[in-house]
Amino acid sequence: MLNFLEKNLPKIVLAPTTIVMVVCMYGFIVWTGLLSLTKSRMMPQWDFVGLDQYRRLFANPRWDVAVDNLFVFLILFIIIALVLGLFLAIFLDQKIRAEGAIRTIYLYPMAISFIVTGTAWKWILNPGLGIEKLMNDWGFVGFEFRWLVEQDMAIYTIVIAAVWQSSGFVMALFLAGLRGVDENLTKAAKIDGASTVQLYWHVVLPLMRPVFFSAIVILTHIAIKSFDLVQALTGGGPGYASDLPANFMYTFTFNRAQIGLGASSAMIMLFGVLAILIPYLYSELREKNHD
Amino acid sequence: MGSISLNNINKSFGSTEVLKNINLDIADGEFLILIGPSGCGKSTLMNLIAGLEDLNSGEIIIDGLNVSDESPKDRDIAMVFQSYALYPTMNVARNICFGLEMNKVPKSEQESILKRVSELLQIDHLLDRKPGQLSGGQRQRVAMGRALARSPKVFLFDEPLSNLDAKLRVEMRTEIKKLHKRIGTTMVYVTHDQIEAMTLADRIAVLKDGELQQIGTPYEIYNDPVSHFVADFMGSPGMNFIECIVKDENLIIESGGKKYEILIPCKDALNKSNLDVVLLGIRPEMLTEVQPSTVGNKFIQKVKFDVEVIEPMGADTVAIGQWNETEVMVRLSPESGNSAGNGFDLQVDTSKAILFDPSSGLRLR
Amino acid sequence: MTSLKLTKYNIGRAFIYLILLFFAFLYLAPLYVMFTTSLKDIEEIRSGNLMALPIDPTFYAWKKAWSSACTGSECNGLAPYFWNSVRIVVPAVIISTIVGAFNGYVLAKWKFKGSEFLFGALLFGCFIPFQVILLPMAKLLGMLGLANTVTGLVLVHVIYGVAFTTLFFRNYYVGIPTELVRAAKLDGAGFFAIFRHVFIPLSAPIFVVTIIWQFTQIWNDFLFGVVYSGSGTQPITVALNNLVNTSVGGKEYNVDMAAAIIAALPTLAVYVIAGKYFVRGLTAGAVKG
Repeated sequence: MLNFLEKNLPKIVLAPTTIVMVVCMYGFIVWTGLLSLTKSRMMPQWDFVGLDQYRRLFANPRWDVAVDNLFVFLILFIIIALVLGLFLAIFLDQKIRAEGAIRTIYLYPMAISFIVTGTAWKWILNPGLGIEKLMNDWGFVGFEFRWLVEQDMAIYTIVIAAVWQSSGFVMALFLAGLRGVDENLTKAAKIDGASTVQLYWHVVLPLMRPVFFSAIVILTHIAIKSFDLVQALTGGGPGYASDLPANFMYTFTFNRAQIGLGASSAMIMLFGVLAILIPYLYSELREKNHD
Repeated sequence: MGSISLNNINKSFGSTEVLKNINLDIADGEFLILIGPSGCGKSTLMNLIAGLEDLNSGEIIIDGLNVSDESPKDRDIAMVFQSYALYPTMNVARNICFGLEMNKVPKSEQESILKRVSELLQIDHLLDRKPGQLSGGQRQRVAMGRALARSPKVFLFDEPLSNLDAKLRVEMRTEIKKLHKRIGTTMVYVTHDQIEAMTLADRIAVLKDGELQQIGTPYEIYNDPVSHFVADFMGSPGMNFIECIVKDENLIIESGGKKYEILIPCKDALNKSNLDVVLLGIRPEMLTEVQPSTVGNKFIQKVKFDVEVIEPMGADTVAIGQWNETEVMVRLSPESGNSAGNGFDLQVDTSKAILFDPSSGLRLR
Repeated sequence: MTSLKLTKYNIGRAFIYLILLFFAFLYLAPLYVMFTTSLKDIEEIRSGNLMALPIDPTFYAWKKAWSSACTGSECNGLAPYFWNSVRIVVPAVIISTIVGAFNGYVLAKWKFKGSEFLFGALLFGCFIPFQVILLPMAKLLGMLGLANTVTGLVLVHVIYGVAFTTLFFRNYYVGIPTELVRAAKLDGAGFFAIFRHVFIPLSAPIFVVTIIWQFTQIWNDFLFGVVYSGSGTQPITVALNNLVNTSVGGKEYNVDMAAAIIAALPTLAVYVIAGKYFVRGLTAGAVKG
């Protein structure tokens, strides 16, 4: 008996987590999946209506806007954060004095919650008193900056705030990657006569492939889940012009008592994440099995 | 006290068979070396003895007790690891005493054991240090001290010297040998270094692809190998292997542009095999410049030899040339004065030459 | 020739420093704006601009944000919610870290058939969009009688934090040589003794990394907070959002900013004190899955 206990201790220790994981992750996903096939509104109920909720979802103009916004946000956010992060990392890698201090400054927004970030930028971008007034005061009379309240532009304010918050993190990823490059390699390239630009373009950047890969995955992940930032910065407005799917899900589930519809939108979000995640995890695990 | 019997041991990881039907008896107080190329299963066998891996089938008997299903701590075994595996956060004294602490040995007894062991290994001045502050050789000693402290029935060594530089390795080798002499406990020692094996072992067990090839004293393994593999594995520079055509119980060798019929000792085996072509195995030290003092040995013959490369090694010089279009190494004295491109008379002593079946690699007996 | 080269080099260096400093300014500006705004009175905010220093600094906004600003129908400032967050964060961080340490230890050094699969399944939990579990979790909390309670929020954060803490510890412990475990086994130590005597003493850095990560994550959480809390049990992020969006009387941007800083202060402090570990957590959670 004691021997049995001893032999199975590892499994016993892992058991609670396993049970909770099966119930609260996979069980709940199934639960939400099933719910998305019912006509639940205020309370969960189990009248199955097939894919009706998904049809309603895709017919809903608000969902359309949210998905379009997500793509705009995702693409701009990722590209800008990557480019900015990469360049800052390369510049910081040039044996810069006070590198530690500068790095600290670039990265601190990552420690702040999206709600705080949203609140701060809401004030900075305030149409009357924010950056517009600052520019006017500084002599750029007639300068207008009212993105926060413009239907077509509100989503870009989300991009600005998200880039501000996350690009330092991308910088840190790249910097760690750059520091991992074998010095002999850069020496060899210099002896071969490569200029700094050529060195980075032909030798260093190709080595950063895995960093690009994980940065993109993480940024995508941040983007798909970013709900707080929208909530704090624009509240999804004006109207619902800057909604993201996460906000759509929240609004319809908790404010509008359309649980079935909310569940179907959550499932679509999950599938979106899976489409990116599965290839990523697959390659990660494969890499590991090679070790 | 510390005898070990391994009976029909089998072990596989997934679908790969790592050990195939190993049978091995180790006497109490014996120093047994497990040797083989990497991946041959020698470390797995050691882990099985220690109880760190589970057997698929077979049994392990230590000191008359079947311990096949016992956990490591109940086998009364100590082990020295390749990486030493010293606990990095504990100082040397606690590293040595940790096993005693776990086995609830009283503090006062721990102290006296610590004193004895650290004096024996001359590490008593290091007791307060952390492993990170020690040199490779010192870590090695601490690792041995940890093993010694428990006075186990059996010591296991898993390539303990492979992380040391060449000079230190030779020193520690001697110390391990002295240690074995002094305490007389059974030791099982895994290595891939044939010099370590030759110098330390009472007996050597050669493993290949999970199978036991041969077990015997260093002398037997060196001079009387059962197969091409074993012969090739032991000795540095290694044994020469030359495919030769058989003619009238002699072997034909082409050297220095001439053909010779070479007389060999193992004619019965040759006749029994009925082979037209055999693999001749002859060690470099049997191929030398002509020595005046060895007259009367009928196996000593002379052939012309063209030197292609000379490799001076200090104590002697290795010259490389060709026999039957196969590279052959011969051992010359450093004063021989031969250089690359030279030809000279080579003395061939076939009294210890052995023959193998070229297809199976097995010894012709 | 040399002097020309030198100047070219110097111009390049100057350019790099200029760019770096410019971006440092961009990253710092919002913090500066928040801070200066919080020290101005509402008149000065209307008449001045974002970058102007406060002429007559006042702590009025800070006092109000802390103790009397309205967050929805209540007007007690952020203070009660600040303490809510503390009451959520402390137990959630401790529990999830301890559970993660044990899980990581098993997954790294006591592998069994299927443990790798379990790890993969758990890893997946780091990535799922939480929207997909929001509803059933609400239902479960209701069944447990924990809806709208601090305890309920602690539970949720522990459950969905364990995937991360496990990942951290597992990846750290994988780097500890397995030979140490074997040596300890031969020395007669068992599962818990090895953990206590060999692994825990080696774990200080990963404990710091994990605790900081969990602290920031949970303190900054909004989604779980807004869904699973009721009036009186909201965490600070939810209260801040309510405060900013409550439009009783005129907009007081200075109070908003003071409140935002108060909400950000604990995590910022941790970042300043232990930035190295914070970054390590970010990159560890990210780069090596």
